[in-house]
Amino acid sequence: HQVLRVLPKSDEELQKVQELQALEHLQLDFWLAPRGLGLPVDIRVPFPSLQAVKAHLEASGVSYSIMIEDVQALVDEEQTEMLRSSRQLPLNTNTFNYEAYHTLDEIYNFMDMLVAENPNLVSKLEIGRSTENRPLYVLKFSTGGTKRPAIWIDTGIHSREWVTQASGVWFAKKIVQDHANREGVASILETMDIFLEIITNPDGFAFTQTSNRLWRKTRSKHSGSICVGVDPNRNWDAGFGEAGASGNPCTETYHGPYPNSEPEVKSIVDFVKSHGNIKAFVSIHSYSQLLLYPYGYTTTPVPDQQELHEVSAKAVAALSSLYGTKYEYGSIITTIYRASGGTIDWTYNQGIKYSFTFELRDTGRYGFLLPAKQIVPTAEETWLALKVIMEHARDNPY
Amino acid sequence: SLAMELPPSHFSAARAAAVAVGYLRYLRGGPGRGLELRALRRARRQDIDDVGHKYYLELELEDVLDKDRTVSCTAEVLYHLGSRGTAPDVQVTVQGELSSTEEADEEFYHRIRSLEKELVAENIPDSHGNVPPELEPIHLLAWVASGYVIWQNSTENTKFHLAQVKHVKQVKRSDEDLQFDFVVLLHEMVSQEVLPWEVTVLWHPQHGARVPQHS
Repeated sequence: HQVLRVLPKSDEELQKVQELQALEHLQLDFWLAPRGLGLPVDIRVPFPSLQAVKAHLEASGVSYSIMIEDVQALVDEEQTEMLRSSRQLPLNTNTFNYEAYHTLDEIYNFMDMLVAENPNLVSKLEIGRSTENRPLYVLKFSTGGTKRPAIWIDTGIHSREWVTQASGVWFAKKIVQDHANREGVASILETMDIFLEIITNPDGFAFTQTSNRLWRKTRSKHSGSICVGVDPNRNWDAGFGEAGASGNPCTETYHGPYPNSEPEVKSIVDFVKSHGNIKAFVSIHSYSQLLLYPYGYTTTPVPDQQELHEVSAKAVAALSSLYGTKYEYGSIITTIYRASGGTIDWTYNQGIKYSFTFELRDTGRYGFLLPAKQIVPTAEETWLALKVIMEHARDNPY
Repeated sequence: SLAMELPPSHFSAARAAAVAVGYLRYLRGGPGRGLELRALRRARRQDIDDVGHKYYLELELEDVLDKDRTVSCTAEVLYHLGSRGTAPDVQVTVQGELSSTEEADEEFYHRIRSLEKELVAENIPDSHGNVPPELEPIHLLAWVASGYVIWQNSTENTKFHLAQVKHVKQVKRSDEDLQFDFVVLLHEMVSQEVLPWEVTVLWHPQHGARVPQHS
């Protein structure tokens, strides 16, 4: 169900809207009935009637806007909210539920708790603001030093890929635990820093919770189009606008009006450039179970192709060792498709040799709607692959 | 020309495999059987002059309701030259037997037939990936329906997966078939678009599933 808002500006328009009330078979539910000129009319329209209603309005030149794109999602959210408020909020990151999907606010709260519990290891940086003015937070894990060689990990750049943000939360906790137990990545933290951006596209993430679970892009509006959003993984300055991205703002792979037009992208670009010492960059997506290295925008292999291929083989073997999850690996363009303006093509061209993209579980059975009980197994196995990459970066300085 | 070996990680092999799996789901899937690709073992491609591109695949499949068992099969997927409006030709040979679903099918059939009101459901799975157990057979029938749509609409430049069942409505019939009208959301990997598709499925425990002509 969608909720449409109509603002009748003439008697003719008002009449057209009133006509809709008489069409019982459409099963329309007027949240705000037609009352007079200039007063909004809100209509809940069941899915099967959508096309007819829109056609009726458009044929008479009556303009409408989509107030709520998916009523069911709101209802679900409401019910979930009600359940949540009757449960106890997590008091610390030990009682936080890693086996569930969380809201934007819950994840921001998690970050603050993690920092508060580990002030000597974790700090929270704001690297910019989204289109809708949400903060873009990066967690920094560091045992000291000044601008040590660093590893960057981001999750949630495509907002519908929910297992990635959820895995990012798990990674954050895991890093802290390893450090406390002097195992795992503790040795990496002796000489390197880790930067983790868990919610790389907060506007999109919020939209997946309130309106459209399958929203991918940012929520920017660029002049000249009624369509919203730019694909943040086509907006980077590497083969920008070439084959492998779309110039149509109404498509899912719209590259945007120019490179780094999206604050979500520009903030990372600025961060990487000003840091200057990032040695490994991993951008995490779902789904398909792939480990990918550059390029996506050209068939020319990267100079470090052989080494990246070997590291990928090792990382994938480590991942599989836990639950038998099968991954394929290779360059973006040979393994998945041609894609221009992509994140790791840009980071590689900046000189960050160990640039990788993951596509996490699954291979299509649930796709973007991965059951919450698979969050922790996915994060656990992915972490083994990430450690291979981090250790290789540490052991092969450049 | 000769068939050329492809690495199983190559995107063209993966796309052809998705077509084969869609076709097989349409042919052999049902409320008690959902086939998933476990691994693509081998892929070869042959360019046939004036005809099109043919892929020879060796696949390992699993039944999502019986994950310990896998079954091997071979498939041939021929994408026609031009590909305008013509579905790829697909042949699949399953090695060995798929486990019987007779009992589950009969149970499902009688459960639905004895419903007082026609079944209606939405958002399968929901946002968190949940499928209520009593709706899992409907979910699997949606795989059958979308398998048909995927087979019919695939080209070498597409890779479709069922993203979600947006809406399903049972339609009571005077004959013995069960009828379900689906609105499915298909995720197309190359363009990344999510496309709503209306498709009707008729199903009977002995006759299997079919998508009527004008669906």
